[in-house]
Amino acid sequence: METTEIGKYTKSFGLSFAITSVISALLVILKETNEATVLAWMKTATPHHWITHGIINIILFVALGWVLSMPNSGQGLKISANALIGNIVASTLISGLLIAGFFI
Amino acid sequence: METFLLLAHPVTGGLATLAALWVFVDTLNAGESSVARIKNISLICAILMWLTYFLGGYFYVVYYYADKAFIKAGPWAFGHNFFMEAKEHVFLMLLILATYLPIAAYSYVPSNKSVRKIVLWVAGLIVPTSLSMEGSGAVIALAAKVALLLKVKGV
Repeated sequence: METTEIGKYTKSFGLSFAITSVISALLVILKETNEATVLAWMKTATPHHWITHGIINIILFVALGWVLSMPNSGQGLKISANALIGNIVASTLISGLLIAGFFI
Repeated sequence: METFLLLAHPVTGGLATLAALWVFVDTLNAGESSVARIKNISLICAILMWLTYFLGGYFYVVYYYADKAFIKAGPWAFGHNFFMEAKEHVFLMLLILATYLPIAAYSYVPSNKSVRKIVLWVAGLIVPTSLSMEGSGAVIALAAKVALLLKVKGV
């Protein structure tokens, strides 16, 4: 029998990826345009700003994925597969274009 | 160590790309017998991408500064200014996408068309993004080579 039910972690971590990806791209622009403050802090937080950036992304991805699995009494978010895919694809494209566009 | 890292990280990255392609093709033609394989290869894809992150990241943080100086002083400065800058940051997104693949594939069963579609899209996004990383790496390597050749020739 055909089913369409999506697991709560599939939904929550899918959306978490979409959000984290865009925030990561915005962080690229923020740190590169604020070298004396944001970039300087990221350089002091770990041996390299890229390591700090990666750690921020991973913490955000895990935290958002966990938080977004909580709504609806722990059943997770109500979102269709098409909407989830749309968010993932749009986020990937927007993030890629933001990063590539910034460095052109 | 430097040369090993330089060679190893595109190899693991290439294998991760192949794993994502495997998941994509296997999911397209999925049956009961392919479920365990899709889950296992999804996990392997994520593990390989993390390995790429550590190998490439270690090279980038510890050794790349010397190559960077050469590239920026050479005729192909865009090898660093665009390709490396974009690569290092797009990769962070790719790493999370690859991490998400086994999470999505974990709840996959052939009768669930929604999850099948999600796995297809995620694996399908990983493949071209990974290939763009490999291509960028080739441009960066060539930019370093061009700069070094000109230096050797005294141009």
